[in-house]
Amino acid sequence: MSDILILGLGNEIVADDRFGYAVIDELSAHVPDGGIVEAVFAPLAGFGLLDFLKDRYAALIVDAIMTGNSSPGTLYFFTSGHLTPTRHLCGSHQISLPAALELGRKMGYDMPKRIDVLAAEAEDITTITESMTPAVESAVAKAVDQVLAWINEVSAEVNNVNKIAAIGS
Amino acid sequence: MKTVTIDPVTRLEGHGKIHLFVKDDGELANAYFQVPELRGFEKFAQGRPVEEMCRITTRICGVCPDAHHMAAAKAADAVYGATIPSAARKLRELVYNAFFAGDHTTHFYALGGPDFVCGPDAPPEERNILGVIAKVGLEAGKAVIAQRARGQRVIEIIGGKKVHPVTALPGGMSKRITKEEQAEMIKIGDEMVEFAKFTIKVFNDVVLANQQYVDLILSDMYTHKTYNMGLVDKDNKVNFYDGQVRVTAPDGSEHARYDPRDYLEYVAEHVEPYSYLKYPYLKKVGWKGFVDGMDSGIYKATPLSRLNVADGMATPLAQEEYEKYFETLTGDRSGKTMVHSTLGTHWARVVELVYACEAVAQQARDEEICSDKVHEPPTSIVGEGIGIVEAPRGTLTHHYKTDENGIVTAANLIVGTTNNNAPISMSIKRAAQGLIKKGSEITDGTLNKIEMAFRAYDPCFGCATHTLPGQMPLEVIVRDADTGEVIATRRRNV
Repeated sequence: MSDILILGLGNEIVADDRFGYAVIDELSAHVPDGGIVEAVFAPLAGFGLLDFLKDRYAALIVDAIMTGNSSPGTLYFFTSGHLTPTRHLCGSHQISLPAALELGRKMGYDMPKRIDVLAAEAEDITTITESMTPAVESAVAKAVDQVLAWINEVSAEVNNVNKIAAIGS
Repeated sequence: MKTVTIDPVTRLEGHGKIHLFVKDDGELANAYFQVPELRGFEKFAQGRPVEEMCRITTRICGVCPDAHHMAAAKAADAVYGATIPSAARKLRELVYNAFFAGDHTTHFYALGGPDFVCGPDAPPEERNILGVIAKVGLEAGKAVIAQRARGQRVIEIIGGKKVHPVTALPGGMSKRITKEEQAEMIKIGDEMVEFAKFTIKVFNDVVLANQQYVDLILSDMYTHKTYNMGLVDKDNKVNFYDGQVRVTAPDGSEHARYDPRDYLEYVAEHVEPYSYLKYPYLKKVGWKGFVDGMDSGIYKATPLSRLNVADGMATPLAQEEYEKYFETLTGDRSGKTMVHSTLGTHWARVVELVYACEAVAQQARDEEICSDKVHEPPTSIVGEGIGIVEAPRGTLTHHYKTDENGIVTAANLIVGTTNNNAPISMSIKRAAQGLIKKGSEITDGTLNKIEMAFRAYDPCFGCATHTLPGQMPLEVIVRDADTGEVIATRRRNV
């Protein structure tokens, strides 16, 4: 299992909720299979996140967010300890991410030492469509750059600088 | 009370918002629960092959992808006039029961159950699975995680993928299973039955042993004498995958028993001017407003409803629990006296969980599931099909019309929670009555009681949630019944 997880959340057929899917899709060209980084999209929450996160060193969650306080496409970055709600960090039918992490620790799982969140302000999260709104669509490339920078930083933490050089190239 | 007309532009909308309309004398006039619903499904479906709907609709909802997969597959079967091979039907039902076993586990241990296991007065941050573990022990957490993994494994074996199954298609299933896979599923089924017994013990020890909780279940605050709806098999036993839709009246008499293809003869949708939500009701009884009773067409479609409309459960342990449930809540173990206590839904869910586990153990042993004949390719087309399954949170209907090539021209869904929109609003009103007064402060205790009212329905807006800060977001807005003016708000996790 890869030490570093990039986990896109969302729904690939709901407007700006595709953001996590789109970022992972773009990212796949930069992240080789079998390396220390794994980039996956999962339409999950709660318990499902626990399954993905256990036994990782670090994880970056990529998702849509709707604060209403910024223009659509604005990117937010939240670090461990300041997990701000994105659309899927807690499903209404699931447990919250903090609860999932606590549950994992109680179960004796090795939970990530670092979980950060990269989120894009969404404009439309109720229309069933395979198209994002233009502002969110245009934020994807910038988000991919930020993810790659994050991978570089975290990879250094796990002393795998050589491998990440190939990923970022 | 004056009639309140709200301009459509300002229609109520939002995530987990509850609007309470209070009259001048302080009396609560009405209560409405609002969630955003996904839009544009019909447009999205148009022009696509109907067989794609089985896979696409799993994406609509992250909570019940398996339910959409099966309802769409059954509707697509009907579009092609296909009768699927017996082995395919058995595989579909087996995987569907495994899905139910996992989903009901999540709800009981992580969402609804904590109200009872931890207590209705426990702080929100403790009313979750961590609170359950604190009360019941670490073994509960381990058991829940193992149970979820079992359900996912069966879905992976039969459905082809862990999360979003892909193998049901018009005419049957696209994947056969091996003897080795069957053996694994038999083992999983047996383990599921042990988990079901564990859950019964938890429920007995923690909930039923506490008379205060039983009294809460039976309290008037959460009681509505509505009609009930659910699928039943030929013997009137609960069935999640197939059968006829049975509707019983508040007095327990049979109102209707119909094939899914006839649903439009029985169900209509009411629209209120202030809301985008639709409120389904029984056509032959009629919409009489947000009231219960024999003359009101409002019905519930929940685990409680399924037990009400059925004459029993098809497996022995579940039947035992069914009888105990009815005896405790109505004094009549036959099940002919309806349970109308909304909070009884949590117990009904446990009875269904037991059935789902036993059904997996039984059906996994059927030699026919290893048959090579799991698909009969359709050779003709009808052009219209309706598929109904029971989603964990209510009756789920998929309805498609296609052209002669099977390309979708029209689509309609009635998802599980939609059935319960009116009862949810009624339950919230009942819970809020006496607690909400004009000028009075909305306390956390008020929020708890209101939350419990709608949580029992397991309302599904996992597919349409906005920001979710770790707990169920909830915003209560008190409005003047005459002017619509906001006079108080209380937020949690919004």
